[in-house]
Amino acid sequence: MRGDAELMAAVTAGDERALAELVDRHGPALHQLLWRLTGGRDVDDLHQETWLRVVRAAARFDPRRRFSTWLFRIAVNLARDWHRRRPPEPADPALVDALPAGTDGVARMDAALDAARLLAALPEAQRSALVLRYYHDLPEEDVAEILGCPRGTVKSRLHQATARLLGRR
Amino acid sequence: MTDCEEVTTALALGAPLDAGARAHLAACARCGADEVRAREIARTLAAYAVPAPPPGLAGRVAAAAGPLLARTRHVRAPRLARTIAAALVPLPAIVVWNVVVLRAAARLLDAVLPPALGAYLVFSYATLLALLLAASYAAIPLLAERQRRRREESHA
Repeated sequence: MRGDAELMAAVTAGDERALAELVDRHGPALHQLLWRLTGGRDVDDLHQETWLRVVRAAARFDPRRRFSTWLFRIAVNLARDWHRRRPPEPADPALVDALPAGTDGVARMDAALDAARLLAALPEAQRSALVLRYYHDLPEEDVAEILGCPRGTVKSRLHQATARLLGRR
Repeated sequence: MTDCEEVTTALALGAPLDAGARAHLAACARCGADEVRAREIARTLAAYAVPAPPPGLAGRVAAAAGPLLARTRHVRAPRLARTIAAALVPLPAIVVWNVVVLRAAARLLDAVLPPALGAYLVFSYATLLALLLAASYAAIPLLAERQRRRREESHA
């Protein structure tokens, strides 16, 4: 199996199969990230735009860095721009219908809606830090690299997010 | 981990508490008051399931990226070919010049050295020249690629 750096070198040369392999490998995590950053709105468009930016910027990818970190950085920046263009709205219950139904389908929809509301209540910077740290289980160093800020800032954003969720701010 | 912010953040994110944090939680009235709500937040966040990407998404990405990738292939190949072609232009002159130098050196060495030693020196020099020439031409695609990256970075 080819590594991410090798695949990116192939994408730089215009190899469609290499891009498809990267999409297969990292697409599901990217989709989850974008879903939680936007509350499930415009995810497919943002997903596609993220990969187009990957192709356009492929020559600038540093193979010594981890590809997923670079990919997430592009996605977070896109989601940030998306939030600037379109201020957060309350989560749309119709979006939760897309969740896989189970025996406890209604309870799961409610839970997902509650979580979406919690995240939507956070400022974009805090939400990004929380989503990357909590849902993607990334170390603070990686979150800092993705968000382009010092590690201490990630820590303080997580503290601020918690305080806000606790209703202290 | 002993301050209130770290303890409540760990609780809200469902992270395990170390011994110091547990001791802090047991002793701190403020964190104790926040504990129930923080654990509730952790449960809510944990329940945020996200649906799988729609089946056609990868195909949609491929369709959108196809023209970009094709353009990349179209631009790259002629550029590299042009670079190599430009580098090959002076090659005949270099080869002719080296042959002239080698012949002159062989005549000179024949006059002052035994023929076998002269032939050995000329052959060694010719081999060295050939290797240097091969290494220089092998480096052309690498240097061209590096230059292309620098150009793209400066345009970015």
